[in-house]
Amino acid sequence: MTDKRVYIAGFGIVSALGAGRTETLEALASGRSGLAPIRRFRPPAGDPLPVGQIQEIEAGKTMPATHRLAQIAAAPILTAGGPPPDAVVVGTTTGGMAETEALLRAGVEDPAAYRWHGAATVAADLARRFGCTGPVLTVSTACSSGAAAAALGAALIRSGRAARVLAGGADSLCRLTYYGFLSLQLIDPNGARPLDRDRKGMSVAEGAAMMMLTAGDENTDAEILGAGLSCDAWHPTAPHPEGAGALSAMKAALNQAGLSTGDIDYVNLHGTGTIDNDLSEAVALRRLFGEKLPALSSVKGATGHSLAASGAVEAVIAALAARHGLLPANTGFRIPDPALGLSPLKTPKKANVRAILSNAFGFGGSNAALIVVQPDRFAPPRAMAERPLRIVSCACVTGAGTTDATLEKLDAASPCAGVVEDEVICRGLSPRLIRRLRRLPRLALSLAAEAAGDARPQGVFFGTGWGALSETDRFLTRLFESNEQYPSPTDFVGSVHNAPAGQIAQFFGAHGPNLTLTGENDAFEQALLAAELIDTGQNGPVLVVGADEAHPRLSPLFDPASAAQGADGGGALLVDRAGSGPIVSLRFLSGNGGCAGAADKLINALGADGAGARYGAVLAGIPAAKKPAARAQLDKVVSACRFTAPVLDYRQWIGQFAAASAAAAAMACRWLGQGRIPTALCAGAERFEDSRGILLLGLGDSISAVEIFPG
Amino acid sequence: MEPLLKELREKIVDILDLVDVRPDEIQPDARLVGGELGIDSIDVLEMVMMVEKDYGVKIDNREVGAKVFATLRALGEHIQQNAPELRE
Repeated sequence: MTDKRVYIAGFGIVSALGAGRTETLEALASGRSGLAPIRRFRPPAGDPLPVGQIQEIEAGKTMPATHRLAQIAAAPILTAGGPPPDAVVVGTTTGGMAETEALLRAGVEDPAAYRWHGAATVAADLARRFGCTGPVLTVSTACSSGAAAAALGAALIRSGRAARVLAGGADSLCRLTYYGFLSLQLIDPNGARPLDRDRKGMSVAEGAAMMMLTAGDENTDAEILGAGLSCDAWHPTAPHPEGAGALSAMKAALNQAGLSTGDIDYVNLHGTGTIDNDLSEAVALRRLFGEKLPALSSVKGATGHSLAASGAVEAVIAALAARHGLLPANTGFRIPDPALGLSPLKTPKKANVRAILSNAFGFGGSNAALIVVQPDRFAPPRAMAERPLRIVSCACVTGAGTTDATLEKLDAASPCAGVVEDEVICRGLSPRLIRRLRRLPRLALSLAAEAAGDARPQGVFFGTGWGALSETDRFLTRLFESNEQYPSPTDFVGSVHNAPAGQIAQFFGAHGPNLTLTGENDAFEQALLAAELIDTGQNGPVLVVGADEAHPRLSPLFDPASAAQGADGGGALLVDRAGSGPIVSLRFLSGNGGCAGAADKLINALGADGAGARYGAVLAGIPAAKKPAARAQLDKVVSACRFTAPVLDYRQWIGQFAAASAAAAAMACRWLGQGRIPTALCAGAERFEDSRGILLLGLGDSISAVEIFPG
Repeated sequence: MEPLLKELREKIVDILDLVDVRPDEIQPDARLVGGELGIDSIDVLEMVMMVEKDYGVKIDNREVGAKVFATLRALGEHIQQNAPELRE
């Protein structure tokens, strides 16, 4: 990480308070609430609950509401012009869920109707509109997603990998979240009133905010000086009672920014209005600031809780505070809660605000804190030398079983594609631990446990193409069968994209960064990039895991080409910045493989001359849905880089599933150790020289290159 | 009361996927939540849904919930007293 400053050079925002700078500022200056009874859909039983709703986003348009919210937020940046961003990072959890729910309920079986379902399609749509040919990342860490996306965006700039990053968050109202939070009894029927003694919960909302983060010192509103990520590793939904995770995220953000608590003029609270969140956050704040608490407020009584968008919405509100000297009120707050000991701003306040701490915490215990400051007001952030990731151990699951079973079969040139029984992946996991977990979290835990062995991983970077399909299907099925009256809290909690990563963290007590990334075929590569970018400065292992489940009902709708075969599994790498193990690195990632010149960029990144001689083997990921295009990309790269090594189309052997590259990475790691790949799998020499590495290519809509070299 | 408790035991084991618990291991007066059965706060909310769906009894605040889910017997008594069909 360099000491580069990260500026917020442009932004867009849309929430229940309105759209854009002027409307948002006016609403914040008035202290009004944008909450109103839900109108998007009519609950068959019970009063419509107050939500933060955006009227312009009514149903019946060609693209889902989340995508349109993201487009509205991105519009001012697109209009302002300038070169395309080098990367796009979007936090979202719902993706096309609002539309998917209606389609599933109506029994629509045409996969084309679900083409915008995937959470990753929100970022992909923006990338296309902006002409971005670099990494397109989707962060799904529940309610901290938007802030975590900003943190990753800032890290991309500080690492020197990007000069301009479009980063933000978007989520729309849908039945899954409306009824999910209701089933957890986390909704205040009177509307959220964060920090109030009589608070009863949150109000779900929709919204979006996008920021153009740049390394250049243009005329900017604010600067992101620091970010901190952590995990409670405590419970799937409840925050740590002493706010341990929140505290460590805030400390990490201050540390990266090089600021002390005395520098903070205002804290934008996560402040959802639930009894436990506000209590936990209050304890953490008092532990951090002692008696000298800065001005503080939660805007969620005004905007509602826009879930994955909220962290980005509030980063923009923090930028507005820095630029316009406006501290928003804690709308809805009336009676102080002695248990909290906090006195939030009852009315909006004008003051010079140099530095803001903005919090966002989510299910799975995933915490993010951002430090937003007036531009060039403070010294640049602390530089830190980049340290490569070294593989300590690895694991995979395929239709053949776990790692040894898979490699044995491949050695004998037997196909491994399929869905292995739960009993095989659950071996060694206690029945009580997994009783509530379905396929994806079981896969993830199994992979993590095998890769980690006796080690104690401190952080988790998880990639999944489609998330927990079993839990999602069960939740929606029961919701609709009961006429929207008896949703399952267990299935809701399990349906959240980052639930498996939260389970892994809880299993190991991993309190470090915990990120979940989503992409239709490059989720594992995204997770690997995140692991490279997020260096806490500590030594100690972290897990990089990729997994996907084959679901009989949903996979054929969401990913029909892959589902035709019915295969699932994944892979895990335990990596450390210390030690002498093989080095794994992401050499290239473009989320827009379909654009002209993407393959050329890959060739350029690998180096046309001599690249071929570096590798003892190439493992190529050719997704079923994009076979001809992916083959053409591969041929081009093989000939331009003059690969002499054998090229293995690994999906032919382990099957078509989104996280197949994670399994391939684990296989590559084992084969590298042996200095050979099974010849029966491909034409070419079996053994390769000790100094050579293995290259993993991802092809199709997303193009990636991951290298593994001996340490 | 006994038939209701038996019914509740079976339902609890089933809906909470208590794979390592037999229904008859749930003692009427033993701690139901946070004890040896491994039942936690998410399970409580799952039971809240079951009680509302199957017996028409709503439990929508924490204080009541803490008392009702203290033991199997407390749950049975609460349902007995409040269920429209079971009320004498």
